[in-house]
Amino acid sequence: MEFHLRPARDHGLKPEDRLRSLSRERGLGSLVLGRLWRAGLRGYLAAFHRLEVTGRENLPEPPFVLIANHCSHLDALTLSGVLRGEAARRAHALAAGDTFFSSTLSSVFAAYAVNALPVWRKRTRSGELATLRERLVEDRLVYILFPEGTRARDGVMTAFQPGIGVLVAGTSVPVVPCHLEGCHAAWPAHRRWPRPGRLRLSIGAPLTFADQPASRAGWEATARRCEDAVRALMARPAGPMSAG
Amino acid sequence: MTRLGTFDHPVTVAIVAAAAGVIAIAVAVIGVMTVTGRGTPELRRELWLRTGSWCLLLPMMMGPVLLGREWVIGAVTLLGLACLREFDRATGLFREPLITGIVVLGILFANFAALDHWYGFFVALWPLTVGVIVIGTIPQDRPAGYVQRTALGIFAYMLFGAGLAHLSYMANDPNYRPILLMLLTTVALSDVAAFAFGKLIGGPKLVPATSPNKSISGAVGAFCVTTLLVAGLSSLIFGGTPMAQAHWLLVFGAIVAIGAQAGDLMLSSIKRDIGIKDMGTILPGHGGVLDRFNSLLLVAPAAFHFIGYFVGFGLNQPTRLITGG
Repeated sequence: MEFHLRPARDHGLKPEDRLRSLSRERGLGSLVLGRLWRAGLRGYLAAFHRLEVTGRENLPEPPFVLIANHCSHLDALTLSGVLRGEAARRAHALAAGDTFFSSTLSSVFAAYAVNALPVWRKRTRSGELATLRERLVEDRLVYILFPEGTRARDGVMTAFQPGIGVLVAGTSVPVVPCHLEGCHAAWPAHRRWPRPGRLRLSIGAPLTFADQPASRAGWEATARRCEDAVRALMARPAGPMSAG
Repeated sequence: MTRLGTFDHPVTVAIVAAAAGVIAIAVAVIGVMTVTGRGTPELRRELWLRTGSWCLLLPMMMGPVLLGREWVIGAVTLLGLACLREFDRATGLFREPLITGIVVLGILFANFAALDHWYGFFVALWPLTVGVIVIGTIPQDRPAGYVQRTALGIFAYMLFGAGLAHLSYMANDPNYRPILLMLLTTVALSDVAAFAFGKLIGGPKLVPATSPNKSISGAVGAFCVTTLLVAGLSSLIFGGTPMAQAHWLLVFGAIVAIGAQAGDLMLSSIKRDIGIKDMGTILPGHGGVLDRFNSLLLVAPAAFHFIGYFVGFGLNQPTRLITGG
């Protein structure tokens, strides 16, 4: 029997607390809004950025974690825009709480349209990471995550933080490395709004970390391997492209 | 469609005045308690919270009834959707978006049938919607959990769609205001009476595993008060009709009294089964929308069909206002 008579993980939270909760589960309204948002987003990415995607066949069934280099707000939008079907419905972008959840209005947008979950930089508690890890496996979610931790102001990728290891080390959940090109030119951190410009997304083969211990050493090794995989995609010559 | 004046019926005036009076008295009593320091601070805070919620709830309940039939139907539609949202998040049905979507459509169609004043469609929707729920997820080829998700979908539709929409259909009668106000206020009063009699008399619990705070004395007291009040008000509302006989009025009162308490116990059973205290957090001092309106769920269809048997609703009014035909 697949159905479990179990309340939503966020049951009992007040509406404003629910928006910022890592336990937030999507209902019908959020799914409909998210679908409309993704349709608009795909149209925007195709029309304004002529998004080209390679390696779409590397995307597995949920759960998995999608990671990439990070230099623009376009990064998360692009990654969430290329997901389809069940993966799109289960996708959560892990977004900076101090940027996207600072007001009720921005929280409503981030929660209902983007389906983002807040990560509070420099003050994330271990319990919060444990919740994210538990939900990733039990709820078969998809996380969109940027292991650098913040946007690179000069567009050059920096070292990955070990947080990605905390989420996946010792589990069979695959990590899908991606490389984004063109996002920094189109919408660098210092610009208020994006400008048109070509985007390219390369999706690499999934990595698994079931053999890595859930310890500091395992988390760091996981982060290093993820970083190497993204750098390898960066160095790879552009292959045949497909429209996003 | 014949439209009567908002306060044409004396029962409408009496109920609105009584509700406003009760709130005013409650505010005065709690105000005196606060000034004189009577009761614990927690008790006073709880009383203020509950009274404040009622100050918002009463206009939200009575306002649409006083404004007109379209307002009633709109408000009942929103109430049904709000109840469904709390129910699906409490039971896990929200993880089945296809079933939830079908139930949402069922609620919208049931209330549309009431708005259209098309009784044939209104009753046809019950088996039709159940049929759509039953076959809806078969194409997904996912038999695991089929019985649970389908049963919960039907349960939700019958309570929040088909059941509550009877209140909408009642609004097609020119004399709907006193009937709806009577049902809304007496089921709310039934809760208060059960609490008051239970506290005053005490004694053995009614169904302790289901609802540990309810006592037999509270249930009997609420039954008597509600039955007599509904019978008395109904004698004024249905005077001159075949229903206006003492025994039928008492039976009607008993149906409303039992339905109100049964709805409350039904929700308690759902909550105990799932292991939660409240269905939501939107109404301070009450919990969720379902925690407040559970007593209406069973009363609405029962009262509709009892009145319908003797008097009917909107029988001399034009039908299929939107679809024609």
